[in-house]
Amino acid sequence: MRSFRVKILALLISLFAFVGGPLMGTAAAAGKVALVLDVGGRGDLSFNDMGFKGADEAKTKLGVEVVEIQSNSAADYLPNLQNAARTGDFDLIVGVGFLLADAMAEAATEFPNQNFAIIDVTWLGKPNLMEIGYEENKGSALVGALSSMVAAHYGKDKIGVVLGIEIPVLYKFEAGYRYGMHWGNAKYEKVTGKKANVGLLWTYTGTFSDIAKGKAATEAMLAQGAGLVYNVAGPLGIGDLEAITEHLEAKGKSAGPPFMIGVDANQDYLGDGHRVLASMMKRVDFGVYSAIESVVNGTFKGGVTILGPNNGGIAMSGKQDLADFIDFGIKGGAISASDRDSITKNWTAMRGAIPGWIWDAVDELKAEISAGTAEIPCGWCADTIGEIRDKYPD
Amino acid sequence: MSTLKPWIKRLNPLVESLMAGLIGLVIGALIMLAFGYNPIAAYISLFSGSFGSVYSWAESLANATPLILTAMTFAIAMRGGLFNIGAEGQLYIGALAAVAVSLIDLPFPLNAVAALGAAIVAGMLWSLPVALLKLTRGVHEVISTIMLNWIAHFFAFYLIANVLTDPKRGEKTISIIESARLARILPGTSLNYGLVIALIAVAAILFLLWRTSAGFEMRASGYNQEATHYAGISLRKQVLRVFLIGGAIAGLAGAVQVMGRPPTYAVMSGLPQLMNLGFDGIGVAMIGRNHPVGIVFAAIFFGGLMVGGRIMQFSPGVPLELVRVVEGVIIITLAIPELRRLFTFFLAKFKRGA
Repeated sequence: MRSFRVKILALLISLFAFVGGPLMGTAAAAGKVALVLDVGGRGDLSFNDMGFKGADEAKTKLGVEVVEIQSNSAADYLPNLQNAARTGDFDLIVGVGFLLADAMAEAATEFPNQNFAIIDVTWLGKPNLMEIGYEENKGSALVGALSSMVAAHYGKDKIGVVLGIEIPVLYKFEAGYRYGMHWGNAKYEKVTGKKANVGLLWTYTGTFSDIAKGKAATEAMLAQGAGLVYNVAGPLGIGDLEAITEHLEAKGKSAGPPFMIGVDANQDYLGDGHRVLASMMKRVDFGVYSAIESVVNGTFKGGVTILGPNNGGIAMSGKQDLADFIDFGIKGGAISASDRDSITKNWTAMRGAIPGWIWDAVDELKAEISAGTAEIPCGWCADTIGEIRDKYPD
Repeated sequence: MSTLKPWIKRLNPLVESLMAGLIGLVIGALIMLAFGYNPIAAYISLFSGSFGSVYSWAESLANATPLILTAMTFAIAMRGGLFNIGAEGQLYIGALAAVAVSLIDLPFPLNAVAALGAAIVAGMLWSLPVALLKLTRGVHEVISTIMLNWIAHFFAFYLIANVLTDPKRGEKTISIIESARLARILPGTSLNYGLVIALIAVAAILFLLWRTSAGFEMRASGYNQEATHYAGISLRKQVLRVFLIGGAIAGLAGAVQVMGRPPTYAVMSGLPQLMNLGFDGIGVAMIGRNHPVGIVFAAIFFGGLMVGGRIMQFSPGVPLELVRVVEGVIIITLAIPELRRLFTFFLAKFKRGA
């Protein structure tokens, strides 16, 4: 027994001596950034993966070193931020997602000399914390206008939106989508001379994780004749798309309509490239990248930064985005590299089937938004969503 | 071995565990090597991260707190010859009961006491059907606890989304008010007085199992049911006892986690700060040989692994998924001695036809 123990000890020592030498040195980088994620972690093809995408870009373009810290449990949020701050090695610590808000508030107070940034939170107000919010209402208005015009074009009189938990952030999506739908109806009538009466079906599913609920809500909308369904519940879009795919299969078809509208990431590449008409891209990657860039350039400062259509933080998906996100989907394992050509072909055919004036009209609305002539509700509508629903009815 | 002195014999489990842990570390190191990470740097950050400073000790102890309790739920059942894996669900219900009762505007410290009490009662109530189903219908506790865990899971989702929802933030319940929270022992860390509550529970269970007749009856029924029955001890009573005490402790674990763990003091949608604490408790109980004192050390070790795992992501940059694999290997090797003992015990029981 004793000799056995000695042998194990000897094995251990030799093993450690063998591997101890290499891998110790690290190259000098332009800066060091920690990326702290919520429990979702990698692989959601949406919000979190977009955060990683921004960090990856910062790695290659700015030459910074990025350390990714995933959270095992919600109890990890605060210690993960504290641990990163305590090392004193990081030029910036980024929290990805509003779930980290409470932990971030505490960490930013505890470490006043550490630079922090957080995505999707705009209410903490710390001098060493850059808070990055998005104008989701404006992007939703763009896809709302597109949806109602396309629905009318295909002779449908309903569009749908499947939302997650009923929280103020999601009211922004709903409000913008309502505005866009009415704008699109008016535009359709003006251009074609035909009356467009596209109405809205909307469901708050109460979840950001139960994919089956997304599917059920979408099935109900399709049964009521919805031509497009906007996914505003992250992974529930997988269920939305499944409902649309099955609905089409029952008719022996593969390509939409009905279409899905994607959210956060560009999800156009899903559904073989011809069931997701467009995506309301919320460029979390862009937010993460710009926060890192500000630290590298020495322009970092605390306070709220709002990203929207004007500065590329919010956009409707286009052709170049498709190529980017096919890579993103391949990397995430959602599609295989051999699908690239067929997806691009299907996508081009899908978009080409829709009259050019509709795409021009969406650009027109975007210009109006940029110029400030179109006033999109709402910046924060926890209290006013009722009025907005009255003003821009179903 | 028979020539060994008794005190050495008592150390045997410790030696066994240390050996098992070493084997686990070596296997973990090989896995990390295979994936191109430096195991020495990883283990240095693992152990300095978990036990290298006052801060890291505090975090490890904070992580150990709920595990001590959920492990005892399993261990008590094991001592009574039952296999209770229901701590997971009872923990959710306990946490939500604590949140619900803290909303009643009671003065300090009554509000905290009431919340803890509610969690204990809620955990017992959630455990009661398991005992009743076993006694009246002969439903095996593994089946009923698994089912009740899922019912608790979805019931908790419902309560978070529809009943206890924070009106300003739909992703969580209303936070427990400040006066009803368990204060931090060390500022700037997660360590709170939940640990003291857990240790009091350990002392209480130690006393119960080895210093009272009720505890003797429970342990006896675990060793040999026929003999216990022959001695005039009601086996049905033991089943009820095991599950009610277990439920109470698991409910308490949920309360301690939600009332003591900064910074949110609320149950979040998806249960991310509660998920798996009940199941991890089973591993902790195994490593701790189903003994309250062993469980305390095992939970601290387990909590330390979780804390050190966070740090492993920093300097050697081992991704969390691989950290979990390595932790899993270490935990399995540590649990093997107890698993082997239990296996032979239950096999013998099975052969006897019980």
